[in-house]
Amino acid sequence: MIDCDVHNAWESARVLLPYLDQPYRDYLERGELPGGRDSFPHAHRAWLHPEGYMRYDAIPPNGATPGGDYAFMRDQLLDPYKIDYAILLGDESVEVSTLANPYYASALARAYNDWVLDAWATLDDRLKISIVVAPQDPEGAAAEIRRIGGHPAVVQVLVTSASQRPYGDPLYHPMWAAASEMGLPVAAHLGGTGGVNVGPTGTGNPTFFWEAHALYAETGMGHIASYLAHGIPEKYPNTKFVLVECGVAWVPSILWRLDADYQALRKETPWLKRLPSEYAREFVRVTTQPLERPKNPAGMWESLDDIGGRDMLMFSSDYPHWDFDDPFLTRFPADWKDAVLDGNARALYKLPARADDAKEAAGARA
Amino acid sequence: MRVLEADGDGRVVVCGAGDLADGERRVFKVGRRRVGVFRVDGRYVALHGGCPHAGGALCEGPLTGTTLPTDEPYTYEYGREGKVLRCAWHGIEFDVETGTSLVDPALRARTYPVAVEDGAVVVHLRGRGGT
Repeated sequence: MIDCDVHNAWESARVLLPYLDQPYRDYLERGELPGGRDSFPHAHRAWLHPEGYMRYDAIPPNGATPGGDYAFMRDQLLDPYKIDYAILLGDESVEVSTLANPYYASALARAYNDWVLDAWATLDDRLKISIVVAPQDPEGAAAEIRRIGGHPAVVQVLVTSASQRPYGDPLYHPMWAAASEMGLPVAAHLGGTGGVNVGPTGTGNPTFFWEAHALYAETGMGHIASYLAHGIPEKYPNTKFVLVECGVAWVPSILWRLDADYQALRKETPWLKRLPSEYAREFVRVTTQPLERPKNPAGMWESLDDIGGRDMLMFSSDYPHWDFDDPFLTRFPADWKDAVLDGNARALYKLPARADDAKEAAGARA
Repeated sequence: MRVLEADGDGRVVVCGAGDLADGERRVFKVGRRRVGVFRVDGRYVALHGGCPHAGGALCEGPLTGTTLPTDEPYTYEYGREGKVLRCAWHGIEFDVETGTSLVDPALRARTYPVAVEDGAVVVHLRGRGGT
């Protein structure tokens, strides 16, 4: 079983100080911070969760930050759910995308990446690392992917789903080029709707937290359309695009619409060789949490099956956040489980075969 | 989480009658079952620890009040202080005394009878209904 969305945290953003280059060490040491001495430099979203966004039972007994204590994470998530690999996405670090200063953003991303490789990757072979980049600094993002993307614990590049432009835009092609060169997928995790990034919807800002949270799905729609229309799979075929926490039930609907409009107006994007949905099946992956809960789940699975969802979905829990999906209690069709709970992520992240599978394969060869 | 044993009649001795003040709780496991006992207005209530919504840690969330239903849009009246249990995961609100969800009356947490017996708070796991 592979959990594709696990949030590791720190007790204080000051853990980054030794990893920051000057002059940015001074910025973090003495500069303005959005939430007190231990907070991380980012522009916070305009919707504040009225209960905080952590599971109450994920607070370790010593009162530490949820996700900040490896032993507690191991005992609450990795061991009881028999997780083979947990893909770590950090917590506030990905919000570097909200900063206006792209060079400060890239410096913070570099510091986070070096810290997480020192502080987390060394703890447990099950922990795999997403490196954060600042998409508003495309050349800096590309340099960072090339600098650290070859580390054996690194499995993907991470940005926020809120952005200044949709990610297929030529602005971001240096990032895609580097990711393709290093053979790493680029994941956009729901969030980053603050600072220089545009709001989560095309209608103007929603009002309430739950309203905004549900509508963050729209950020995912914009990126899928842009990634496919700009032909990123054709131009940079050794990377893939992962949408994290943006929902799955809407994916068939958007792909059906993209296919129909592309078929009518192929001439706008003559570099495409296949239907958008065909590229999506091969190159787009979506994590499952928070899995929609329709009255008739069979209807949702049928529509996902229509666009090849069994190849695209990857299980995620979002531990230790408030909308956690339990790996044992979240329902998938019986013949989807192997792919969604394990196989799709194992292939995407090039993780070793399961010990029993490897043994079986060896037995078959003998 | 503390692990307790049930006797042959499904009785679990949780704590002494004087151990809990109003608003306080004991959350424990009996076998694989999680249970929470709360003291509310001098009475004890016991709820099944697995949230009926999605299996979350129901009894580990805050015991609090909430905004009361209103027919007047954009007005907020706060009430039910100490009577609303929010699940620790997804935040679904339950009436702690009945186990019924505030947002969907069809969503009910199992309750167990609780009695004070010989100075001890005792949950009866084989009983139905606590209130």
